[in-house]
Amino acid sequence: MSTLSLIAVDLLVALVGVGTWLGAAIAAASGRTRATRFLAVSAVAVTLVRVAVVGVLAGRGWWFVQEKVVFALPLVVLVGAVAVVVLVARGVTAAIVPLYGAGFAASVGLVSPLLTGYPMGVGQALISLGVAAAATLVAWRYTSGAAVPTKRLLVPVAVLGLVGVGLELLPAPQGAADSPIRTVASELRGPSTPAPGGSVRRFELAARKASITLASGTSVEAWTYNGSAPGPEITAVEGDLIEVTLTNVDIESGVTLHWHGYDVPNAEDGAPGVTQAAVPPGGGHVYRFLADQVGTYWYHTHQVSSEGVRRGLFGALVVRPRNDVADTAADPNSDADTVDLTLPVHTFDGIVALGAHDGAQELAVAPGRPVRLRVINTDSTPHRVSLVGTEFRVVAVDGYDLHEPGPVRGEALRVPAGGRVDLSFPMPDGAVALLVDDDASRATLRINGDRASTVDTAATVDTTSWPELDLLAYGTPAPTPFGPDSAFDRDFTLVLDRGLAMVDGVPMFAQTVNGAGYPNIPDQRVREGDLVRVTVVNRSIETHPWHLHGHRVLVLGTTGSPLWLDTFDVRPGEVWRVAFRADNPGIWMNHCHNLDHARQGMALHLSYEGVGTTHSGH
Amino acid sequence: MTLVMRRVYVGIVGLLLASGVLQFYFAAVGAFARPQTDDSFSLHLANGRMVFPLLAVLAIGAAALAKAPGRLIGLTSVPLGLAILQSLIVAVGNALGGATEQRTTPLALAILGLHAINGMIIMGATSAVMARARALLSAPTAPAPAR
Repeated sequence: MSTLSLIAVDLLVALVGVGTWLGAAIAAASGRTRATRFLAVSAVAVTLVRVAVVGVLAGRGWWFVQEKVVFALPLVVLVGAVAVVVLVARGVTAAIVPLYGAGFAASVGLVSPLLTGYPMGVGQALISLGVAAAATLVAWRYTSGAAVPTKRLLVPVAVLGLVGVGLELLPAPQGAADSPIRTVASELRGPSTPAPGGSVRRFELAARKASITLASGTSVEAWTYNGSAPGPEITAVEGDLIEVTLTNVDIESGVTLHWHGYDVPNAEDGAPGVTQAAVPPGGGHVYRFLADQVGTYWYHTHQVSSEGVRRGLFGALVVRPRNDVADTAADPNSDADTVDLTLPVHTFDGIVALGAHDGAQELAVAPGRPVRLRVINTDSTPHRVSLVGTEFRVVAVDGYDLHEPGPVRGEALRVPAGGRVDLSFPMPDGAVALLVDDDASRATLRINGDRASTVDTAATVDTTSWPELDLLAYGTPAPTPFGPDSAFDRDFTLVLDRGLAMVDGVPMFAQTVNGAGYPNIPDQRVREGDLVRVTVVNRSIETHPWHLHGHRVLVLGTTGSPLWLDTFDVRPGEVWRVAFRADNPGIWMNHCHNLDHARQGMALHLSYEGVGTTHSGH
Repeated sequence: MTLVMRRVYVGIVGLLLASGVLQFYFAAVGAFARPQTDDSFSLHLANGRMVFPLLAVLAIGAAALAKAPGRLIGLTSVPLGLAILQSLIVAVGNALGGATEQRTTPLALAILGLHAINGMIIMGATSAVMARARALLSAPTAPAPAR
């Protein structure tokens, strides 16, 4: 059974537990002896089942059961045991209050973790105890014929709750005193000259509102770079210097440029409030970095990014290897012959598009020619991509070439929010279709070979039942500079959940990391050169595409090709272990790339000792 | 004092009822919003997660202070319990039914549909609380003094 199913079963069992304990109490208060006994026995059985379920869940990781083991189960087992003993020894009437106590204990054990998420702290436990005790006192007062000293008993209960509230409001303990700041993040600039043999590639991007027209004729009020969405594709050859001048025409909330997956020097990262101030209307900013990573990447605004990216402030960044380009001039049959397409998937006002094509985009390619499709998920939720009509290879993920990728057919690819996959195949005689989310009626790419009549066949194959290609076991292993057995200098754990937390000074039902929201989640502090392992645990019921700026991470425990990713989907109940070398000093955003979740608190910083920021806010 | 608290009790339950009606209205707003985004149901979520539960807790407190009988206090806590159940239906439905962001499953939908049924039960329970809270208003505040 999957961890997520176990979490759901546990919730269900806990719910039945609340119902049976409270039911027994109500039956007792109504003087129904047989019903009371039946419900009490059921409650005991359900509670034991929950203990068993939690036991199994504990095998998936302590993070999934912490609050259940230290608080919820001991409380309901203890109070429930008292209730049962009283019921047996002194009868139904005497058991009314203890049974209510068990019901309220079961209730707070179920509700309290849902309200505050992982981890359960002492303060929260005290508040929960206080609530359950107060409710039990009220029940006692109203079910007992005799006078109950409610007011006198309420005092210690209130004190208990208030101490809990106080503990919750205490500021989180800070880590060791910060080392002196030797460098300011915004001074960690990129080089100003290309690598030997490279040239300078200059681009100008002006952020402005514009009405864009999708291929179907639908027009969308978008936020754009240079009036188009996606923005202009930025291309370079390995070793070039990319220089982009950003200006903001009329985006009131401000804009930046973040180079997603590109490990640029910190000051070029485009994280407002950390590496630069957001560019206001009328303002500008120049980004400069070396094109030293080959592959498929993308850029997008990082200011109010949940809205900005959704409305269209993004574009592709593709860097091709220098060898290919050199070959091109010499040999016309080399890779220059490749049909190389960049396909950003984006949802504009609810309409899924590949680039600006929201319907079927058709293309004719001579059979035998190599085809490379670079799929970029620019949305905040994952997409499923299926290729119909040909065998293909996944040659790169997140810009990084896979080792000995094998042929794939009849399997779909899951692309996380912000992630990229490069698919490659020689054009067959027939037709090939790329489907997004198994839906041939929406944005599709149809490539026709010689026999154009087979196009419709290719596009109407039902891919819904195709299994998902497991990238963790795809390709073959290759040496990596470090692995699961390396000695790590730092070991961080991020437990993702939901709960009440402060986000930018506002209390909300936040998307939390270790129980806190941005900017109150403690920084991950590293020293340059550290080998860092990060464990990401998803306790929630939503997918969290995790994205670290400035570093690509190696997924630990793969059985196929090494996987170096900048964005990985941590699905509900999953635990991911990744590692990276701290080799890019600065202060880096480390966040969920479901940008709505980031806005709701799921973001923190990876910061190097000795680096500080002069900016504040987002 | 008790009479004032009983009026306050009726007032809070009235607000609770209004919040419940609004919740249906906001559900329709979310269902018909184009394009569907994370924000389509923001009013439904804010009212359902914050306003309704808060009013429900206040109603229980007011019932106790208004010296309502134990049964009525118990009945007053039903809307809160069912409101919590509303969130659990969504969580358990999606998780147990194997639904993803992209696609629901028949099993998930079969469970998720209960969200609407439970919503109606919440309204029924809240209305029942309202009727008894108003009846309490016209009841004597204290036992008649012995002559």
